[in-house]
Amino acid sequence: MLLDIGDAGLPGPGFFPLLLAAGLLGIALLLAIDCWRSSASEAVEIGHRDVLISIAALLSVPVLFEPAGAPITLGLFGMASLVLIGRVSPLLAIAASGLGMTACWYFFAVLLGVQLPIGPL
Amino acid sequence: MSGFDQLLGGFSVALSWKGLTYCFLGCLWGTVVGVLPGLGPLAGMTLLFPLTFGLDPAIGIIMLTGIFYGAMYGGSTTSILVRIPGEAASVVTCIDGYEMARKGRAGPALMIAALGSFVGGTVSILGLMFITPPLAKVMIAIGPSVQVVLILLALAVITAVSGGSRAKTAAMIALGLALATVGLDRLTGVPRFTFGSAELTAGLSFTALAIGLFGISEILINLENVAAVKAIRPKFKELIPRWADLRESAPAVGRASVIGFVFGIIPGVSHVVSTFVSYAVEKRLSKHPEQFGKGAIAGVAGPETANNAVTGTAMIPLLALGIPSIPATALLISALTIHGVQPGPLLLTDHPEVFWALVASMYVGNVILLILNLPLVGIFVNLLRIPYSWLVPIILIISVIGVYSVNFSTSDIWIMVISGVIGYVLRKFGYEMAPLLLALVLGERLEENFRLALTMSGGSYGTFVDYASIYVVTCVVGLLLLTWAVARSFGYRKSFADQAEQA
Repeated sequence: MLLDIGDAGLPGPGFFPLLLAAGLLGIALLLAIDCWRSSASEAVEIGHRDVLISIAALLSVPVLFEPAGAPITLGLFGMASLVLIGRVSPLLAIAASGLGMTACWYFFAVLLGVQLPIGPL
Repeated sequence: MSGFDQLLGGFSVALSWKGLTYCFLGCLWGTVVGVLPGLGPLAGMTLLFPLTFGLDPAIGIIMLTGIFYGAMYGGSTTSILVRIPGEAASVVTCIDGYEMARKGRAGPALMIAALGSFVGGTVSILGLMFITPPLAKVMIAIGPSVQVVLILLALAVITAVSGGSRAKTAAMIALGLALATVGLDRLTGVPRFTFGSAELTAGLSFTALAIGLFGISEILINLENVAAVKAIRPKFKELIPRWADLRESAPAVGRASVIGFVFGIIPGVSHVVSTFVSYAVEKRLSKHPEQFGKGAIAGVAGPETANNAVTGTAMIPLLALGIPSIPATALLISALTIHGVQPGPLLLTDHPEVFWALVASMYVGNVILLILNLPLVGIFVNLLRIPYSWLVPIILIISVIGVYSVNFSTSDIWIMVISGVIGYVLRKFGYEMAPLLLALVLGERLEENFRLALTMSGGSYGTFVDYASIYVVTCVVGLLLLTWAVARSFGYRKSFADQAEQA
């Protein structure tokens, strides 16, 4: 749907976004010139192992959160993070995430009354 | 009702069991995030932000503000004991604080930092108490065109003084303003950039964006540099400073209280600027400037007092004008709005109980922090022994539950995760998130007032350069230039902010 821009006397809902788009374009040009002028820019390293694992684990949370429920999803997330990033033994990670999720559930769902999805449990 | 009666009313809220409990929790969590390197006040506030939704507005704000100044206190601990600044404002404290610790004088350094923080914080609360009400009265009279000018001025100053590239800061501001346009247009009710999604009609969740852009991106960046921390551990009996320490620190604390209070008006990097200026002032006025950098106690007392004195001043534009000057206060705006309290000049007339409860809680919080920080410093230092990679799942799980609890929507978790990843990539390329957040908070108000002003003036852009706007701009710019000139005369340069932001 096209937003009505209106005019200066009666600006429509598209008026301000249009101004912003023009501003962003101007800034983008400035940044492009800046990049073009700077001779040798430093290489930015993206893709540290722990960061990639965390991002992958985080992306799985919204996928599983409602169908599997908060305790299972977050428990699995905690366990995976502890094993893969914290280099904790799997048994210890299972115990820690189990205890942690119980504490979380008690604090958020019981004490604060936050209605978290329970899933198949 | 007189101001004194209202302050007493504020104390009755702040000293109630609920007020005290949440103030304590805020201060405790604030100290923890201040101590842990990489988790600053903003990340700390965003992570516990959703917990405040079920609370009264005054209690919620008391807790969030407690986190804000608690982090300022806590930041000094790691600076002194580990030489790692807990947050940007503690960079200067590392210089002499760590040198003192190496010489076996960590205790007095911590004690003086805590006492200075207490004095600085208290002075700034007094200023907040006396300046905000009259300023709010003046601001009630201003129209939409002046509001637009003030908001643009704040954004322009943030661009000019923030660390890093100005073009990148401007890009982040424009992006923040653009993100603020998502959702129903408040003036016409037309949905904008929602792509047919019913969940986006209310706009992008501020909480999800704030936690993603600040909390998650911060955690991802820190994961790249996890290093074992070796901390110097002071004993409780070593905390008591000598008489000579107190005598040497007292004038520094006094001067830094004023410096922090005055520099708090600079949007964006006030807390960083004030610490550098305070350090430079103390070095210049010292009888033994050669001791600076080798463990001079005034080099700890000054910056630590200054960065805490900023907290009160930073609240003045928020509470009197509804304009946040630093990201932490932007979050407070959002918290107030969620509770149905509109920050700005009408706050004192419509919700005086919130303002006075906040002021009173800041007094109470400063005492709590003094009690908390000194005897428990050993426990806070032990926090540094927990591997960061173990803390990550805990913080992320709290973030997910917190974000979900706002609207009970999985879309918010998606927004948080995606904005976290985008924030991480942007930060790797040198784009700061603070200007984006400030613009996001101010965007809706800027657009609304901009369109109202144009409609009221029949489409004349001259409305933005009328007498009132020019008067306001001249006053604000004059004040900022004066403050900036003083900062530069004491050797402060923009590059210091860049270094502090990277620390």
